[in-house]
Amino acid sequence: MYEEPGCFNPNKSMAERTDSGAFQKQFEENMKLSADELSYYHHNHQEDAAVSAMELEFQKHLAFNVKNGDDDPNELLSNDHFNWNAGGIGINQDDPQQNGHRSFDINSLPQTPDLLNLFHLPRYSLLPNSSISFTNSNHDTTPLGFIGELPASDSTSVWYDPLFHLNLPPQPPLPPLLSLSEGGANPLFGDERDSSGVTSYQDGDGGMLEFTRDTACIVRGSETGKMTKPSTTERQKREHFGTKFTVLRNLVPKPTKPDRASILGDAIEYIKQLLSTVNELKLLLERKRCGIERSKRHKTEDDAEGDVDSCNIRPLDDPEQYYNGSVRSSWLQRKSKDTEVDVRVIDDEVTIKLFQRKKIDCLLLVSEVLDELQLDLHHVAGGQIGNYYSFLFNTKIHEGSSVYAGAIANKVIEVMDREYAAVPPTSSY
Amino acid sequence: MEFLGSASDALCIAQARRRQVYDDNSMYKSKNLHAERRRRQKLGDRLLALRSLMNKATIVEDAITYIQMLQRNVKVLSDQLLEIDSLSVEEDEKPTRDEINASEQMKKYGIKEDVKVTGIDGNKLWIRVVFEKKRGGIAKFLEALTSLGFELTDANVATSKGAILVSSCFKGIYGNALGVEQTKKLLQEIIRNM
Repeated sequence: MYEEPGCFNPNKSMAERTDSGAFQKQFEENMKLSADELSYYHHNHQEDAAVSAMELEFQKHLAFNVKNGDDDPNELLSNDHFNWNAGGIGINQDDPQQNGHRSFDINSLPQTPDLLNLFHLPRYSLLPNSSISFTNSNHDTTPLGFIGELPASDSTSVWYDPLFHLNLPPQPPLPPLLSLSEGGANPLFGDERDSSGVTSYQDGDGGMLEFTRDTACIVRGSETGKMTKPSTTERQKREHFGTKFTVLRNLVPKPTKPDRASILGDAIEYIKQLLSTVNELKLLLERKRCGIERSKRHKTEDDAEGDVDSCNIRPLDDPEQYYNGSVRSSWLQRKSKDTEVDVRVIDDEVTIKLFQRKKIDCLLLVSEVLDELQLDLHHVAGGQIGNYYSFLFNTKIHEGSSVYAGAIANKVIEVMDREYAAVPPTSSY
Repeated sequence: MEFLGSASDALCIAQARRRQVYDDNSMYKSKNLHAERRRRQKLGDRLLALRSLMNKATIVEDAITYIQMLQRNVKVLSDQLLEIDSLSVEEDEKPTRDEINASEQMKKYGIKEDVKVTGIDGNKLWIRVVFEKKRGGIAKFLEALTSLGFELTDANVATSKGAILVSSCFKGIYGNALGVEQTKKLLQEIIRNM
């Protein structure tokens, strides 16, 4: 990758030198902006990608300044400093894009001295590359023409140059970025901002990363220009991430709130429920199979001894399994908007506590549900307490029924909610 | 996995202790134990590190995949259960057996079907009903009451010795009120028809 700028160098050196001053002014402006934004975003968890992007930009601008005019080692050091900041912030960060970016930062750090040398070569050597990577109309224009467009196009391409330089060497960071290719979104940094100069930095970064990774990806997207293409991929990435959340929400049965944190919380609860359900079902299956073999033995007392023995002996040998296999116990609580259900299953007895907020004839409803589930009602106690209704049901699982706690709770809540929906709440009387 | 590890660990340690006294080969066994433990720990640490490396998107994706897998498992297992249920045929005998038991038990303990009604607190009535236990008996009883426009509030139902005891406040849903005697007759009718 180092060769690429090299091959362009002899052609563009003149062009670069002439326009460097104008761009340097832009750089300085943007640097000021990015400095402000840096301090603002530094503490913002979500903006870390932006921070890293900005820091990268910052560093590059500084590199440019060093190269163009000042050759100040201090600035070079601050480059490193910013680079390390970006790397440090990014370590525990979220988006793979951002991670990729951060690894880019860290990797690009050692190259800055070399790249500075490269900078002596026309920095717009990259511009033709950029125009190649983005199939924009600028491709046909001369580098000068392209440069001339930069100020108009919000100086996006300006950032593209140094970024591209820095992104050239680090090939290894590509794999983490490649992991994103399934989504189709290319790694870019952070959140999209409005059309400020800072935003354009990030867009430029994204564009460069795309180029280094996959020209095909770059070609995809807008053909209008570099400016829009990175933003679309950024948006794509963000949308893709958002769609994953909606997919998760669709999987979870009862999403209470649409915000991401509660989706995650609901997902966690749901996974736990699923796990306990799976365990219960496995236990039930186990007992069923043993029970069937035992009953076969009662019917035909001749054979099947072996089966029963194997079934019974197994639990006895292993004390832990015996305990788990012979006594089923599970407990879970489910809540809905107006109903709370607490289901405890111990062996073949099920205790259901029902707590609800509005007036419904729950006794009848629940006893019907219990009949459906083949649970024999043994005790019921409850009544009205203020505006609430609280009931306790002691039931026994009918022989041969294969019902599990999750199913009981779900059914009860479902019936309750249905009733609530059907009957508009009337004042208690 | 850690549980398994520690269990086999304990086993190995016990065996190792016994043999160390007698055998030189025991050295190798305990070395093996150490190696095994170290290997397991290495695996665990690497798993933790891998999990910590995961980024936002992959975590969510993994959660999605895991949830789908769990849902599939639940479905498969419950299908298996249903299959086994449908195969078993013994259920037909059981309900009748229970019912026979219930009436026998009631006779044995001298429990009789009974209805008591008292008026309390204005329009409210308090009822106490004893009837024979049947499958879905309570539901049927409540159903009958509801269909006639009554309901139980602050109810207590107890089951014992093949009989069901219902003691509860008794009220008309729509504010209708029956006298004590009427209610008693009504309840007796309901029980008889059950």
